[in-house]
Amino acid sequence: MRNSLIALLIFAALAAAPPVIGGYWTGQLTGYLVYGLLAISLSLVWGYGGILCFGQAMFFGIGGYIMAVITKGMVLPDITSSYLGLIAAMAGAALFALALGYFLFAGRGISGAYLAIITLAIALVLERLMNNWYGLGGYNGLLNVPPIKLTFFGASFELWDRVPTFYAILIVVAVIFFGTTALLNSAYGLRLTACRTHPDRLASLGYSVLNIRLSVFSLSAAIAGLAGALFVTLDGFASPTLIGFTLSTEALIWVAIGGKEMLLAAFLGAILTRTAESWLSEIFGDYWILILGIAFMISVVLLPKGLLATPLEKLTEGKRR
Amino acid sequence: MSFLELKSLTKNFGGLCAVDGFSLDIAKGSVNALVGPNGCGKSTLFNLITGTIRPDSGEVLFAGVNITGRPPHEIARLGIGRKFQVPAIFDELTVRENLIVASRKQNDRTAQADILAQIHLEDQADTLAGELAHGQKQWLEIGLLLAQAPALILLDEPTAGMTAPETRATAELIHRINRDRGLTVLVIEHDMGFIEHLACPVHVMSKGKILKSGNFSEIRNDADVKALYFGTAEETVDA
Ligand SMILES: Nc1ncnc2c1ncn2[C@@H]1O[C@H](COP(=O)(O)OP(=O)(O)OP(=O)(O)O)[C@@H](O)[C@H]1O
Ligand SMILES: [Mg+2]
Repeated sequence: MRNSLIALLIFAALAAAPPVIGGYWTGQLTGYLVYGLLAISLSLVWGYGGILCFGQAMFFGIGGYIMAVITKGMVLPDITSSYLGLIAAMAGAALFALALGYFLFAGRGISGAYLAIITLAIALVLERLMNNWYGLGGYNGLLNVPPIKLTFFGASFELWDRVPTFYAILIVVAVIFFGTTALLNSAYGLRLTACRTHPDRLASLGYSVLNIRLSVFSLSAAIAGLAGALFVTLDGFASPTLIGFTLSTEALIWVAIGGKEMLLAAFLGAILTRTAESWLSEIFGDYWILILGIAFMISVVLLPKGLLATPLEKLTEGKRR
Repeated sequence: MSFLELKSLTKNFGGLCAVDGFSLDIAKGSVNALVGPNGCGKSTLFNLITGTIRPDSGEVLFAGVNITGRPPHEIARLGIGRKFQVPAIFDELTVRENLIVASRKQNDRTAQADILAQIHLEDQADTLAGELAHGQKQWLEIGLLLAQAPALILLDEPTAGMTAPETRATAELIHRINRDRGLTVLVIEHDMGFIEHLACPVHVMSKGKILKSGNFSEIRNDADVKALYFGTAEETVDA
């Protein structure tokens, strides 16, 4: 209960931010919200599902490319609906995760460091693939991805301006955040914890561990795919960097710094790290990476639950979910 | 008619024959005990029944259905529950949440309250399972089986690490669930006092197969069984 209250306050503060921080920062913050969504997806699969995915950006990138090809009319010239693009991006990423997950988890299943290495390798392969796939722009990617077009009751409205875009994205992120939180508070959330900590026990109670892992892996991929789809509409282009190594590891750092076992902490980890980066990299230049590295090490060594999750848990009286 | 039928089950680990042509019939609604020295293959036998490992040869028939080689979750759904040798509960969940997970299909609060009472954990319902005392963890695991509501339960050393009164309470609990819920029970134990208290057919296992079957006093006084336990009898009594 208090958990949701704090989350509500944070979303209210985000909603109140644009007039205070001005146009430029509103634009920046919109991007950070999308990264926050990617962090939510990683927290779900890693912190709750116990699946350490080092290539989470692959789902982000897949979502981004699907959104780009649909809204640019590269699939069907007459059907360029943003809604369709978003749904297809989520479905595409989820289906890819389902196939990949089956390969990873069936039988004895791969876990721990092996899983991390394999998912990282797959992200690298996909990045290479996109670099060389000339039909999808190759190294340069796809340019001129249109902004989100909202259509209701026949009227349509393109999100070109910063402030309406910010609110549209904030609403999507809030819906996903509170939806995922509700899911984690249900019996499904208990099963995830059970599956993460004692899969053999769960199987001998009649649950298919494979199905639970596939469900959380694809759900997380769908969220990451949605984030990627939103992202390309902000920047106006989809490029191979969305899919690969750098973004995958950055997402891991945000989530580890924030706290992987707490959706809210992971989300804020992404936003705060990104904000800190744009300030501190102006002051310290490339030394910013050092500061980030130190923060990362502190969180891993001293506060393994996360720099943000630890104080947030205090606020919520140590309630775990 | 036998409810659980094990037909010459065999399992080798490398050169070691852990289960060696093991056969046993268990009647519906009965309680049976399986005893034997450390490493004689008791837990491996359970693993073969629950699908955790596949036998090299032999068959497992449950309620007339051949379940050999099926995955553990399917076997569990058919109605076999298992307590592991090392307490296997969900440490990061509370006692109540453990029971919610175990009752896979219906989340019935009165049934859960009833189970909490039976396993003497009413006051710990909201305690994290990882924080329970050892004996309480063993009970919680039995509680998970009750919530799962199987027809056959396999208990692997349910009283290990328990005090004498806890051990007695456990024997009573097993009697009660056998009587009230009609559950068929197969229990592995080292504690002879507990086996005596159960007053049920006992099967002595040695080197992967059954050496002797009989009631407690027959087994206790059997020359072969004495020879098997010679020198290890002390340690098995208080294990
Ligand atoms: N997965 C495995 N791989 C290799 N060897 C195994 C495996 N599982 C069991 N064993 C071996 O098989 C033999 C039987 O082991 P098992 O655990 O079934 O004995 P047990 O009768 O349950 O003994 P205890 O009373 O100590 O629990 C032992 O020698 C053990 O080392
Ligand atoms: Mg054993």
